[in-house]
Amino acid sequence: MGLWLLILPVMVFVAGFLAPWLHKRLGHRAGLGLALVPLAGLVAVAGMGPQIVAGDPVTFRHAWAPSLAIGLDFYVDGLSFLFLLLITGIGLLVTLYAAGYLEGDKNLGRFYLSLFAFMGSMIGVVSADHLLLLFVFWELTSLSSYLLISYYHEDAKARASALQALLVTVAGGLCFLAGIILLGQMAETYLISELLRMDPAALMSRPGASAVLILLLLAAFTKSAQFPFHFWLPNAMVAPAPVSAYLHSATMVKAGVFLLARLFPILSAGSLWFPVVVPVGAATLVTGVLLACGEKDLKRILAYTTVAVLGTLTLLLGIGTDLAVRAAMAVLLAHALYKAALFLVAGSVDHATGIRDPEKLGGLSRLMPKTATAAWLAAFSMAGIPLWFGFVSKETLYEALLGAPGGAWFWGTVGLLGSAIMVALAAEVGWKPFWGSPRKFTNQPHEGPWQMWLGPGLLGGLGLLAGILPGATGAMLVVPAEQAVLQAKGVVDPLKLWHGFTPVLALSGLTFFLGWVIFRNLPSARRLGSLFGKWGAWGPERMYHALVEGVLAFARWQTSVLQNGYLRNYFLTCVLFTAALVGWFLPWPVVFPTGESLARPHVLSVTICLLMIAGAVLACVANSRFTAILCLGVVGMGVAMIFFIFSAPDLAMTQILVETLTLVLFVLAFYRLPFFKNYSSRGAKIRDAVLGVVFGAVMAMVVLAEQSSMSPDRDVSQYYGEQSLVAAKGANVVNVILVDFRALDTLGEITVLAIAALGVSAMIRLRPASKNRGKP
Amino acid sequence: MKSVILAALSRLIFGLLLLFSIFLLLRGHNLPGGGFVGGLVAAGAFVLQALAEGFAESRRRLRLPARVIMGIGLLVAITSGILGMFYGYPFLTGIWTTEPLPLLGKLGTPLMFDLGVYLTVLGVTCQVVFSLGEEGEES
Repeated sequence: MGLWLLILPVMVFVAGFLAPWLHKRLGHRAGLGLALVPLAGLVAVAGMGPQIVAGDPVTFRHAWAPSLAIGLDFYVDGLSFLFLLLITGIGLLVTLYAAGYLEGDKNLGRFYLSLFAFMGSMIGVVSADHLLLLFVFWELTSLSSYLLISYYHEDAKARASALQALLVTVAGGLCFLAGIILLGQMAETYLISELLRMDPAALMSRPGASAVLILLLLAAFTKSAQFPFHFWLPNAMVAPAPVSAYLHSATMVKAGVFLLARLFPILSAGSLWFPVVVPVGAATLVTGVLLACGEKDLKRILAYTTVAVLGTLTLLLGIGTDLAVRAAMAVLLAHALYKAALFLVAGSVDHATGIRDPEKLGGLSRLMPKTATAAWLAAFSMAGIPLWFGFVSKETLYEALLGAPGGAWFWGTVGLLGSAIMVALAAEVGWKPFWGSPRKFTNQPHEGPWQMWLGPGLLGGLGLLAGILPGATGAMLVVPAEQAVLQAKGVVDPLKLWHGFTPVLALSGLTFFLGWVIFRNLPSARRLGSLFGKWGAWGPERMYHALVEGVLAFARWQTSVLQNGYLRNYFLTCVLFTAALVGWFLPWPVVFPTGESLARPHVLSVTICLLMIAGAVLACVANSRFTAILCLGVVGMGVAMIFFIFSAPDLAMTQILVETLTLVLFVLAFYRLPFFKNYSSRGAKIRDAVLGVVFGAVMAMVVLAEQSSMSPDRDVSQYYGEQSLVAAKGANVVNVILVDFRALDTLGEITVLAIAALGVSAMIRLRPASKNRGKP
Repeated sequence: MKSVILAALSRLIFGLLLLFSIFLLLRGHNLPGGGFVGGLVAAGAFVLQALAEGFAESRRRLRLPARVIMGIGLLVAITSGILGMFYGYPFLTGIWTTEPLPLLGKLGTPLMFDLGVYLTVLGVTCQVVFSLGEEGEES
């Protein structure tokens, strides 16, 4: 059973990489074949059900990098189980739906690749037990989300929105990484299952606990589009409808909520939990519903209501009572079912009519009866009509809110406002386009292929079924998840459809009434909402743009300073910097060696040195490049001679060869250059001369310092000398160091050489102004 | 501009230089020499050839494109490192034949690694010189 936890993501990734090929071979039928993968996953997950409902988590462990204590550790309890079912189940329906929605799209193979990459990563996020493994999957979901949002990549808006989503979630991802490393250091384990067994109060009273809490909250808030990071989610609606349904309502945006729920026992013990999480959740809820009112686009309305629901989930987890956690799990399940269905319905409507403004839609129920059925099934659950699961979850939500610390009146009002607007918008999105007054359409809207109504229909139907059987749904899905979040065991009250005549029921009635009133007066509500939206335009999104533009401006500025394109400036910078750095680290004062350590100068070496000096001076004053380079050659050959005299034949040989080849290269390069002229001004010449003298002086100091200090590094050469023949079976120490002792360095060096050679030939051949452009 | 003397000389020297480069490669482990110097000498042979008889001729003599030789060199060097791993040693550990072979002496992965260095250096130098030179020659 546990092995499936490893197979599941691997299987999905492999299928994803096969998808482009399958699509090429099978065309649009590839979707049907690919759908078998999430189906198999769904069956496998469902097979774990009995064990998990019994309160026994499924685990899988495999050592991956034991020296770093990183393992492929997976752990699935009630919470992960609920998520896994949603990921594989909705994934299955979305895979099918996409085959119809994107039929004939030549990039469908790539779409499936990104979609399955996301599916595999999301499975990993909810089933990983090791925090670092979780992080890897977490970042992968951000990346695949980026690819999916920018699916219509010719559209600049799609690219900008994808980048925005990526930057916001990846910024959160960095916080996540910092947070889990701190947490891991603090708790001395990275395994979630072990963390959950620790004493949370003791853990959260350690120093640094508040930093962990804040960092992890930032990660969750960015991922789950909480205020003030909510703006990326509605912009992500440029993605194709199946992506919006799957990633941006049912699964990925809930990853943040998942993180909060997963680490709930630990994090909620922190003193900052309630004062941070509750206001953020409440602010997100209110922002979401108000902004949703102001929108005139089906998908953006749904996106803002998703923001609102994500806020509700955060709020409930922030309140943190047993009842609130249960409500969170129920709302999560209900929302995943109805919102995914509504997104798919909106996609079908858009697909059939090309219109996403609910004002301009109406009377589609005659033309698209099956989609219409799916729409009202889902909308009823969103509105929380009795018998639907949305009703059960809303009742639980009210119950939890009324029991929350901070006053029943306040939370009751917040909940009522949110739910009433949800009712109005459910009618706007799921009712009006189909049963509103009929409109004329320029094209002939018609029902899509079966894949396009099966998914939303099934999801909508499941919302009804779960509502009719609240006890079973609760026992199988909600209660195990709730107990996993709370790390509690034991018998709890089952979920019920009918709670009797309570204040909660009265609130529900009031919700419907208020919702109906808002729906009737939607134009005025929309004005209010768009006013709020205008005011909001000065808010967080403006800050995001300012930040991004600031970073870009800084990058442009520093590029123009540092990468100015003048080779001489680069060279100048490098030489100056090296001289300064080396000079800084020299053991000052450097003394000139005296006495015995000073070797008696030999006539030969003195002559060679004089020749080299002459060569260097001549190179500076030469009037042609060839003269200059030949003079430099004299210097180089002189160095080789010195090597010979001091018995380093290896170095000398290499020096001679390098010198020769360099000369050839220079000659070849000069062939292309214009005739030599003295371009440098007098000032520049003096500057260069000073710099050259300084650099030479520093290098001389290095040699002197090395001579005088006789540093303990001598041990190293002694070691190599002794071990060369014994350990490496070679008498030439230089070569043994190169190919054996420090072979990894050599490998790195030759790799760099090869890359440099490729770079040189690429630069020469691809010069835009080259006459030989295009020739091989 | 071709010089007959240089062309005749380079034809004579070409083989000798290559032979010498292999000699340097093989003796490198115990005496001055090694893959780097050997590769440079071999590259020198081809550069000389190019200067004497033109880059196209030299390129033909090299048979494989220089960048491919570069790649083969890297591959050989990495493979030599991996061989040791089959015996359970870390990457790049040298392993040796137990008995010396006639003529070549003891063989081991360091020599193979050096061969990789030799080929890479040869490929890199030829790649750079050829691409610089052909640009000049065609104009």
